[in-house]
Amino acid sequence: MSQQDPSTINGGIVVAMTGKDCVAIACDLRLGSQSLGVANNFEKIYQYGKVFIGFTGLATDALTLSSDLKYKHNLYKLKENRGIQPEVFANLISSTLYEKRFGPYFSTPVVAGLNEKTGEPYVAGFDCIGCIDAARDFIVAGTASDQLFGMCEALYEPNLEPEDLFETISQALLNAADRDAISGWGAAVYMITKDKVTKTYLKTRQD
Amino acid sequence: MMTGQHGSQPIQHQFNPYSDNGGTLLGIAGEDFAILASDTRQSVDYSINTRLSHKIKAISPSLTAEFKAQNPKMIGTKNSILFGTNGFSADGDALTRQFEENWKWYVHDQNKSAMSMQSAARNVQHLLYGKRFFPYYVHTIICGLDEEGKGCLYSFDPVGSYEREQCRVGGAGASLIMPFLDNQVNFKNQYIPGTNSTERRKVDYLSLDECLKLVKDAFTSVTERHITVGDGLEIFIIDKNGVRCEYHDLKKD
Amino acid sequence: MFLTRSEYDRGVSTFSPEGRLFQVEYSSEAIKLGSTAIGIATSHGIVLGVEKRITSTLLVSDSIEKIMEIDSHIGCAMSGLTADARSMVEHARVSAVSHNLYFDEPMAIESLTQSVCDLALRFGEGASGEEERLMSRPFGVALLIGGFDKLKGYQLYHAEPSGTFYQYKAKAIGSGSEGAQSELQNVYKNDLTLEQAEMIVLKILKQVMEEKLDSTNAQLCTITKETGYKVLSEEETKEIVDIIYEEEAAEKQRQEEEEDDDEDEDEDEDVDMN
Repeated sequence: MSQQDPSTINGGIVVAMTGKDCVAIACDLRLGSQSLGVANNFEKIYQYGKVFIGFTGLATDALTLSSDLKYKHNLYKLKENRGIQPEVFANLISSTLYEKRFGPYFSTPVVAGLNEKTGEPYVAGFDCIGCIDAARDFIVAGTASDQLFGMCEALYEPNLEPEDLFETISQALLNAADRDAISGWGAAVYMITKDKVTKTYLKTRQD
Repeated sequence: MMTGQHGSQPIQHQFNPYSDNGGTLLGIAGEDFAILASDTRQSVDYSINTRLSHKIKAISPSLTAEFKAQNPKMIGTKNSILFGTNGFSADGDALTRQFEENWKWYVHDQNKSAMSMQSAARNVQHLLYGKRFFPYYVHTIICGLDEEGKGCLYSFDPVGSYEREQCRVGGAGASLIMPFLDNQVNFKNQYIPGTNSTERRKVDYLSLDECLKLVKDAFTSVTERHITVGDGLEIFIIDKNGVRCEYHDLKKD
Repeated sequence: MFLTRSEYDRGVSTFSPEGRLFQVEYSSEAIKLGSTAIGIATSHGIVLGVEKRITSTLLVSDSIEKIMEIDSHIGCAMSGLTADARSMVEHARVSAVSHNLYFDEPMAIESLTQSVCDLALRFGEGASGEEERLMSRPFGVALLIGGFDKLKGYQLYHAEPSGTFYQYKAKAIGSGSEGAQSELQNVYKNDLTLEQAEMIVLKILKQVMEEKLDSTNAQLCTITKETGYKVLSEEETKEIVDIIYEEEAAEKQRQEEEEDDDEDEDEDEDVDMN
């Protein structure tokens, strides 16, 4: 097989958005091997305390990275005896990715969470070697990132209530995935507020 | 082709007949009107050639003095064809001129006042496919009114494959805007509240004002995120009264 | 006069001092020798009809093809050197199909006729000897081209070998054309039905043909918006021919009876006189 871009073999997308005292993060459920669909239950979002991280890109690297971060998160809890804040987690991810500066993980994570002290919503994205993109509005990642950028840029407005943010992020994800052949096959949305996290599976087209 | 020596390494030069001039082209067909819009930036790599280029041409039967007096702002009749190209602008210009010539000959030979959208689309296909092995590097969209007076849009790939559609985006911002249009024009992934995603929102024609709002939203959005899109927005509108053109500023950064 | 003719009727592209192109004029003469062809345009469709000269009882009449399809919405009838018509029809078919390919619409009848006439005019090409000659002489055939298009509805055109064409409501060409044309002028009405037109064409053919009209020595075709080009089968033609002969027989009988009545009256008169 000829040389190819590792970050587009498996397909998949993640998007995160900030709202008024809430954040949302969503992913599709497809795992593929190029044009072949392999699984429709491949969730890309992991929970670390009250921080949520979505991993796109090469699935094996995403899995490895998620385990490595779970290990580091556990150590952090033991050492610090407190929950990790999203800003801190972002820096942890950044340094973890940069360790592999010359042989990187082909994965671009997305962090979403609320700062427990300030209550401020926080989202951040990374490139595969750890450069943090701490946006105020939204973060997109994955094989349909162009489509997600277009959707989010057009639909997003600041300070949305959870219900409206849910609709916005869902529409952004769904319509972006429909214009990408290797994303879709189901979707999951996490809505994170101060005292509640809801996870919703969306009905999507299955092609 | 070897043209020089640098040390022991031969340097190979190749003429590249194409360049990418960026930009985005967007069309929407309404019930009794059609819109074709594009940004006016023309760039190569990271340099901007001009902030006011024209990617759309209204090909119209000649305007009578009476028509001009009654519609001073109209630049074409209702039988016009809005012809838009995006990609390599030299090829786009060449294609536009060729089509315009074909249009004129057709009008003369067939004793008609204009060409139907259906015929125009087929003709454009042949212009494009005629250069199947040295293609015009363009995404083409044509807009007009069909023979029933309904809004009409055809879009083409560089070698002439074509389809009549309700809306289409071409060029640099296509991947960003197309899902937005799916959602907002064809109501994709929209369901009637309370039906538990079982009943789709019924697709209905949008009004001209709604369409114009979408077009402006789409372009300001893509201008934010894409470097080759910006400077200005030209919107051509065709309806039963004729063709008119609007200009709006876009961010110049 | 004879001298001028013999000097100026050789080159196809040489005018005589009086400004005439003799070869072109002669080509029109060739048509006057041809079998009669008639076309009628009604508001319901086009009817084209031709006579077939069955010169031998052994000749298979189906093999005489003087009505041809150009496209599904255009047909033509011919008179003159029918061999020449084959290349004209070929050209017309290519034109119609190309137009449909390039513009995704049926070709207009007038444009089609124009393109046939463009070909007819090319007899002069290469006469200067610089390029290769396409044709040695003008065509010796005239066409009646009929059809339907969205632009102008039903139309009938007469295309001459000279490359000119005219639109007609009804037109006859060929050896019987003079009589046929004046009869057409008498019977043509703007509100003719297709059936009436079929009947008229066959009746006139019957009048001008040397042989006795039957379903094998005449052929009809119709072109309508709904069904397009359609040649009438021998059975369909026979139905109309039979009606014509029945009407004729009835008419004859009526006349005979009238004559009898007249005779009776005469007799009465005679009686009175007596």
